[in-house]
Amino acid sequence: MALSSRRAVLTGVGVVCPIGLDAASYWEALAGGRSGVRAIQAFDAAGLPVRIAGEVADFDAKNYIDKKERKSLRVMARTIQLAVAAAQLAIDDCGVDKQLLDPTRFGVEFGAGLIASELEEIAVAAQASVNSRPDAVDLDKWGELGIPSIPPLWMLKYLPNMLACHVSILHNAQGPNNTITETDVASLLALGEAYRILGRDQADFFLAGGGESKLNPLSLVRQCLFQPLSRRNDAPEKASRPFDRDRDGMVLGEGAGVLVLEELQHARRRGARIYAEMVGFGASFDRDRSGTGLARAVRSALNEAAIGPEEVDHVNAQGCSAVDADVWEARGLQEVFGDCSLPVPVFAAKSYFGNLGAGSGTTEAVAALLALRHGQRPSTLNYEQPDPACPVPVATGGLRPMTRRHVVKVGFTDMGQCAAVVFRKWE
Amino acid sequence: MRRRVVITGMGAITPLGHSAKELYQGQLEGRSGVGPIELFNARTFPTTFAAQVKGFDLGRYVSDTVRWTNAGANSKFAAAASQQALADAGLLDSSGVDRTRFGVYLGSGEGIQDFHHMVSLVARHYRPERRVVDSAAFARDGLHEFHPGCEAEQELHTTTAHLAAHFGLDGPNYNCLTACAASSQAIGEAAELIRHGDADLMLSGGAHSMIHPFGVTGFNLLTALSTYNQDPPRASRPFDLRRDGFVLGEGAGMLVLEELEHARRRGAEICAELTGYGSTADAFRLTDSHPDGRGAIACVRAALADSGLAPADIGYINAHGTSTQVNDKVETVAIKKVFGDGAYEVPISSSKSMLGHLIAAAGAVELITCIMALRRGVLPPTINYEVPDPECDLDYVPNSAREKRVRHVLSNSFGFGGQNVSLIVSRFQD
Repeated sequence: MALSSRRAVLTGVGVVCPIGLDAASYWEALAGGRSGVRAIQAFDAAGLPVRIAGEVADFDAKNYIDKKERKSLRVMARTIQLAVAAAQLAIDDCGVDKQLLDPTRFGVEFGAGLIASELEEIAVAAQASVNSRPDAVDLDKWGELGIPSIPPLWMLKYLPNMLACHVSILHNAQGPNNTITETDVASLLALGEAYRILGRDQADFFLAGGGESKLNPLSLVRQCLFQPLSRRNDAPEKASRPFDRDRDGMVLGEGAGVLVLEELQHARRRGARIYAEMVGFGASFDRDRSGTGLARAVRSALNEAAIGPEEVDHVNAQGCSAVDADVWEARGLQEVFGDCSLPVPVFAAKSYFGNLGAGSGTTEAVAALLALRHGQRPSTLNYEQPDPACPVPVATGGLRPMTRRHVVKVGFTDMGQCAAVVFRKWE
Repeated sequence: MRRRVVITGMGAITPLGHSAKELYQGQLEGRSGVGPIELFNARTFPTTFAAQVKGFDLGRYVSDTVRWTNAGANSKFAAAASQQALADAGLLDSSGVDRTRFGVYLGSGEGIQDFHHMVSLVARHYRPERRVVDSAAFARDGLHEFHPGCEAEQELHTTTAHLAAHFGLDGPNYNCLTACAASSQAIGEAAELIRHGDADLMLSGGAHSMIHPFGVTGFNLLTALSTYNQDPPRASRPFDLRRDGFVLGEGAGMLVLEELEHARRRGAEICAELTGYGSTADAFRLTDSHPDGRGAIACVRAALADSGLAPADIGYINAHGTSTQVNDKVETVAIKKVFGDGAYEVPISSSKSMLGHLIAAAGAVELITCIMALRRGVLPPTINYEVPDPECDLDYVPNSAREKRVRHVLSNSFGFGGQNVSLIVSRFQD
């Protein structure tokens, strides 16, 4: 393992999610055990088997962006707007004077997913191209009459790398810039990559995050077709119940979380307030989804941090409330933490707001950082009946004082891509 | 001393052929892979042509194709090119290596959207008087008309997951999508994972196809594509005065990156060493490069600094060279800025003149081209170069391949949104 003398600290957080439009309200909701899952308001979901989600209510991107930049909102899908807003909050929170930042040492790393076209933008083109057949479009008409009716910048509104690109433009970040697209683990991998780039001295300051909204008709239909989603439409707040015996699937949410990751000396020189230090990262593939690969990612991250599992206060889990995924996650965590003399509790932030997809890793990491700052670990909602197939000590019972200095954040995809991060309390 | 990264295997599925060798040979002959679009009826589109992969059969590369039944072209191209690269590296049977130290990092594009069902549904449920699509009705019908398997395969993590599962690669698994720079960035970051010790081996590269109705529509709306419909093979003309946009291509390029001592221990044949990687952002505009080439200059310099080489050490540049007015001009400006007077001495060519633009996969197939050029000592040309542009006055290896032994080669990739990546590969020397 290459040694780096450069240390990376977290100096800012920004979050726009179903339980808060900033870090303070987010923490209040976690502390108060308030769920952000409810009946979908954004559109009429009556035709779907799933009609609940973690929505970001009362979000207006104009509140987060300078007046002179607001015209760019027209080419930002909601996913991008959420990410841009969270990035602005993170910058504000870290208290940096952007004029003093070297733009070439300022990087952006985001996780992002597929972004669905707003249906109305192609609707005129679609109607101009109908055919006698119900399932085939007349491409001659589409080419001739359809294409000219679509907004010229249509495609740019939906490219996954546009989260990071808009953020780089708005903040003049000219350093390394990448967009990782591994669905639910994307933003955690992005954070890990930012950490490596800081370590190898190619940047001093990073906005690392992710965002996603699948709460539109097209994305939600697609997700209903292949994701194991909860059908608990009659009790939205009870629907996301990670590791609970009666869970019946994931809840989708929307939101974005962005972290400022900064080289320690850089942070010190400007007198930044430090949330925590990032001390370990690991990534792996869990081919059989048995938990063994996940355990490997966690062990790599612990090894890099040079700590044992006993030194971890709690795990901030993927905990997505899917019937299968919670089982293999629990097995993986048990493989690493099962022999600890004191149990290492497992906190699942998705119990509050569902699965934010590419936004989930860093949005949930904000909960880890706030826990470290407050010295208290939050508690998982809706954990009522232990599931023998998920042998992990789930964190319950409201806020509890933290007794150890590290939090491990894990994430993975339904196909097996895994990542783990270790944060250390700053002292 | 940092860990060195070498390339020990390559594979390619491209409009010019279905192997790294055919890809290179086609370019040396100056062949164009561009022709009328056959994948769908594009007759009335502003652009009616592209560089398609022809005669591709996944069954020739993997015995059990069931995993890819519902997958998009990108995933299938990736699987075939990966099989070639792993075979080339002697790693198809990876039982001799630690699979947990063998990862995947691609710059692969999205799966292809179900255009016909989606557009039909939107047309059926659009309420023009209110200018909204009836979402409840759209959803109700969509649940029956979209194919669950094909929808699942559009997700952006599927390509890398299939490769890892099929070939047994249990190390770190990433996909990045930074538009036209994606696979170059993937290769750069994969090399960094090896340098840092996160892995010893990485399967890396990219795969993409945007030759579908939504893809061509999107690029046509941006007026980014050439509209030389009367003569497709001559449409992609990087650095030529009459260039009018890029030509869409499709395919995949895959490389096996390996830590040098690991490669030596198992007696692997070394194709080249990856010596330099730079990544920057223009932070300027979504569609236009910075006119002074700010990000591109910083990026090339970062790659040079990473490799410890001076501009004069670079014997050949494989340009991003898209054949758009702006890219080719700005790239020329950037090369002049970094190379000074030496800019006129270094041969530069654009593979896209023959292959079209493979978008996310472009950087990987172009890097493979560079490695072949390093090994064989012949540089591929820029074809369709007929009328010099006074603003593009460098040596673009016009129209025919050129013999030249080179030791270090630079490959540039620049993407929408201001994403810049440069890679340097070098002939391997102890």
